[in-house]
Amino acid sequence: MTNAATLSDPDPSLSLSGVGHAYLGRTVLDGIDLSLAAGEVVALVGPSGCGKSTLVHIAAGVVEPSRGRIARRYRRHGMVFQDPRLLPWATARANIAYPLRLLGLPRRERRERAEEAARRVALDLADLDKFPVELSGGMRQRTAIARALAVDPDLIYFDEPFTALDVALKRRMQDLVIAASRAARFGALFITHDLMEAVRIAHRVAVMDSHGRGIAGERPVPGEPGGRDDAGLYRLVAGLLADDPLFRHIHDVDERRLP
Amino acid sequence: MAKAMVRAILPMFLDRLGRVGQFLWSGWAGLAGLALFAALWQAGHERYGDFILPAPLATLAAGAVIAADPAAWALAGQTTLRAVEGFALAALVGAAGGLAAGYSAATMRLARPILTVLLGVPPIAWIVLAMIWFGSTDGTIITTVLVAATPVVFVGVAEGAVTRDRGLDDMARAFGAGPLARLTTLGLRHVAAFLFPALTVALGSAFKVAVMAELLANTGGIGGALATARANLDVAEALAWVLIAVAGLILVEYVLVHPVRSEFDRWRNAARPWGVKR
Repeated sequence: MTNAATLSDPDPSLSLSGVGHAYLGRTVLDGIDLSLAAGEVVALVGPSGCGKSTLVHIAAGVVEPSRGRIARRYRRHGMVFQDPRLLPWATARANIAYPLRLLGLPRRERRERAEEAARRVALDLADLDKFPVELSGGMRQRTAIARALAVDPDLIYFDEPFTALDVALKRRMQDLVIAASRAARFGALFITHDLMEAVRIAHRVAVMDSHGRGIAGERPVPGEPGGRDDAGLYRLVAGLLADDPLFRHIHDVDERRLP
Repeated sequence: MAKAMVRAILPMFLDRLGRVGQFLWSGWAGLAGLALFAALWQAGHERYGDFILPAPLATLAAGAVIAADPAAWALAGQTTLRAVEGFALAALVGAAGGLAAGYSAATMRLARPILTVLLGVPPIAWIVLAMIWFGSTDGTIITTVLVAATPVVFVGVAEGAVTRDRGLDDMARAFGAGPLARLTTLGLRHVAAFLFPALTVALGSAFKVAVMAELLANTGGIGGALATARANLDVAEALAWVLIAVAGLILVEYVLVHPVRSEFDRWRNAARPWGVKR
């Protein structure tokens, strides 16, 4: 499943072909081909401003692409955004249950599944009655992850979810996602600009062209997420950044933003 | 099972009881403010005499006499009915228009100059127009109230709809919410926080405008009673009628508007440190 999953996969869970997008006539994405096998976690990295975020929004159906086709062969997806995007007027429990409400589930089942999802991200049940303003940043992002898990997805879109968290919290959240993904066997498209985060979480790292013109290339990450040792990952990242031309531009700062 | 039910319901009940208690306790501050106002009034009475400004207690006594008269209740009821009818229409029209304007920029651009014109016409001019159109009927009062109260609701709701969090909209879309689901679960809930303050203001102005229109159009109600009191130079009775109108307004505001609003603002209250609540 791990490294064999590439573009040649005969039955991908998600495939984007020739996807392009333009904002007000300015092309920000073009010719994107990417596919994910069922249960596969793919990290998409690239310099900031290259259109990664737009791409994941298109894949999740939030933004309509101007060109290209998207085939979704999974049952249901969840999504975690960079900011938690919780409803400020609802308790953490109601926030986790929000997508279930959209699905029209009865109240009792919503409650049970929200609590189950909260347990999976190690949220204290006592905190579920609090409003987002009463929660810390890490707890809010946990709530957002629980909300994505609550719908029992087989694919989750992550749009730079841990960028705003401090280093220790970031690692804890990554471990949480790795563990949840292994337990529930969901795949993920994980946007990040942190290569270390990408190689920790993913089976495969795809690099986006710095001008949004297609996927520049991809590299499989040896081993299973969660089963790799940190020292090896640090060496891998250092090696990739030093020697692999594919990763030469990923730390470039947004050059395309108009003044 | 029953025990689990009790355990689930009891904290909710206690929480609610606590909030009701907090609300009632906050009444002391309101009472203190009113007492201060009465003291200033009394001072004015002692300075200017009975004719210009009757004492608060004399006014209360006149009010009690009016309150004991069933005919007076009918008059107050008439005004209340007119004000509430106009207010309900204004709330409906204003909320629908505000929502449309908040969600569609084109509607907003069209509505803004119309609103400026409507707000620019003084209420007194509307009364004159409505009198020509409807004569001395309920229609005059309701039209005047409608015109005076609609812009307030419209602006409040439009502002709410414009300031909605588009990030939340995207989140809901990512979880498969259609436009209707997004409107009912996110848009309306956000707008409600803006709607209630606007409704409070609109209700207040509905009462005030209704009384004023009644007085000028001579169509009975509290305004008509005020006109009679003025004709008789009965200052105590005029003040007593004002007192009754204000009391009705306070009653509606604290029994209806505030509890509903605090229910919607629970999360805002949760963010406040303990000593600052209310």
